[in-house]
Amino acid sequence: MRFLFVNHIQNARQSLKSNRMRSVLTMLGITIGVASITTILALSGGAGQVVSSQIDALGGNIAVIRPGAESETPLQDLAQFPTAQHFAASTLTENDLAVVRAIPNVTAVAPMMILSGAVKAETSAPVNTAIVATTPELAEISDLEIQDGQFLDPNLSPYTAIIGPQLSVDIFGTEQSIGKTITVRGQKFTVIGILKRENNPINYNGVDFDGAAIISQDAGRALNQGVVQIQQVNVQTDTVANLDQAIIDINKALLKNHLGEADFSVLSGDQIAQPTNRLFSAIAGTTTAIAAISLLVGGIGIMNIMLVSVAERTREIGIRKALGASNSDIVAQFLIESLALSIGGGISGYVIGYLVALAISTLLPFFPIFNWEIGVIAIVVSLVIGTLFGLYPAIRASRKDPIDALRQYD
Amino acid sequence: MPKTKTEPVIVLKDLKKRFGIGDAEHYAIDGINLTIRKGEFIAIMGPSGCGKTTLLNILGLLDSKIEGEYELEERSVASLSARRQARIRSQQIGFIFQSFNLVTRLNVIDNVALPLVYKGTTQLNRLKQASAILHNFHLGEREYYMPYQLSGGQMQRVAIARALVNDPSIILADEPTGNLDSHSSHIIMEELSDLHKRGNTIIMVTHNPRLTTYASRVITMLDGRIDTDTGAPTRLEDLNTKRPLGKVSKKRRSKSRRKKEVKA
Repeated sequence: MRFLFVNHIQNARQSLKSNRMRSVLTMLGITIGVASITTILALSGGAGQVVSSQIDALGGNIAVIRPGAESETPLQDLAQFPTAQHFAASTLTENDLAVVRAIPNVTAVAPMMILSGAVKAETSAPVNTAIVATTPELAEISDLEIQDGQFLDPNLSPYTAIIGPQLSVDIFGTEQSIGKTITVRGQKFTVIGILKRENNPINYNGVDFDGAAIISQDAGRALNQGVVQIQQVNVQTDTVANLDQAIIDINKALLKNHLGEADFSVLSGDQIAQPTNRLFSAIAGTTTAIAAISLLVGGIGIMNIMLVSVAERTREIGIRKALGASNSDIVAQFLIESLALSIGGGISGYVIGYLVALAISTLLPFFPIFNWEIGVIAIVVSLVIGTLFGLYPAIRASRKDPIDALRQYD
Repeated sequence: MPKTKTEPVIVLKDLKKRFGIGDAEHYAIDGINLTIRKGEFIAIMGPSGCGKTTLLNILGLLDSKIEGEYELEERSVASLSARRQARIRSQQIGFIFQSFNLVTRLNVIDNVALPLVYKGTTQLNRLKQASAILHNFHLGEREYYMPYQLSGGQMQRVAIARALVNDPSIILADEPTGNLDSHSSHIIMEELSDLHKRGNTIIMVTHNPRLTTYASRVITMLDGRIDTDTGAPTRLEDLNTKRPLGKVSKKRRSKSRRKKEVKA
């Protein structure tokens, strides 16, 4: 039986080689399908990894408080139109900040109030960007480095700003813009620092700091009609071991503040990256469905070609049967041939998929992920397609009557 | 005079094969009773359409939709599974077809080695055995030719080599020399009678009355029935093939004729 299997493989190779053009075109269907799946999985995996690796890099002693309870149906939420609820004010207040600061082992608390708006310099057109009103502790928690100048300082005037290098280039045409003035909502700010370029637009803060302006919390309050709207609070504890206890304490304290209503969530580790990951997995899921359609079409292509091949080789089937091939031998012969087509397509699709992913990643801020799961998925998908669509032609071949088959002239 | 009767290999009892239904119903085989014993060399003759090839297909287990009874080596064929029948075809029956029936996309040696694949022989042994038998048929230098590169006679010799490579006990030949010149015919028939002498059972359909001289028993068919049958030989000596006298090869005959003419 083992020899027979080897022989079937040789046979398949030989027969595919003799119809090279046809085999390549048939494989192409599977190649495209597997390539798109590989690309999607590699890129979405890479994107997810970016966020979680950042959290790892931060040392694991960071927790994030976000307004609103965690949704139990995150994927459905993605498909929903924004309702009035989405525009409600954030449930986190300055009062909450004070409570969190008082919790033992909490070393730093940085609120982030993200105001979107136009940043204008005197001479250039306004640039719409994220304006983050926060406290000096953000630099420490989120590891923001200064390239030039300094970060926020409570001793300075509240109307000072730190801007990202890209924003600086966009509005001043240079990264050297210390001492210059930007205007936000009619209020002038003096630039006192330029951030170091991070090239990291996807992060758990939800802000691309390369293009953002950072102002003090007081200035933020003044720009927002005297109300502080906190979208996120980053909390740092002294050690990793104390983080869990701190999270419990934060939850307790905030619940008390919010009169027992859990309209906030305290996240740590992988949980922080989940909303980003969910978005990517939703995108990946949709595109995978489209790739599945191309795989289906590829599979139908294999079935079609195998049926042609069976019809062409009717006489050969008759000869083989007369020489002692059983029905299962014939099934195995044709099934292995269709499997060779689909696996060949799968392997080339896997390789091409990664080439495409690498090419796309030059335009993106992250690299595709390399792991064995994607390889296994590519192989399993092509195996399933080959079997599924090769079985019918193979069974049809094996059912041929040897005498009729021998009578057919080729 | 010692009377010998070898054990029967093939027993047919009132065998019928029907084609078509209703008004078009037609019996290609219409009640054949036949016992073929081990070691017989049978030539089946008869006009076209008398059911010779159909009978051969039934004997070779290619056609199992039959009425009546067919016992192969004391087992009723009707009771055998399709897989078992395939194994018998692989290990006990060698087919030689009217047309060559080579697999066109395989080279000569792979074609010859094909039956060994289903017997489970390793590739090296397959090629060795195929090569050996091709040498016997003077096709040693043609091993890696493709079938379309051979003459009709060579193709038929390859087909016969393929039928014999498994060393089958029963050889079914449908006009094995129909497409060969007399020289090649001679080689093939010599090979067949060699096999016969080694104890193989050979059943050959032919139109050529000359070839019946190789056979130990001649059956003529007419309209799906056995018309005449020389019967199973009762004496041991009769099991041996008779050699036709004189030279068979037309070439040699014409050559010698030419020599005579030259002398004259």
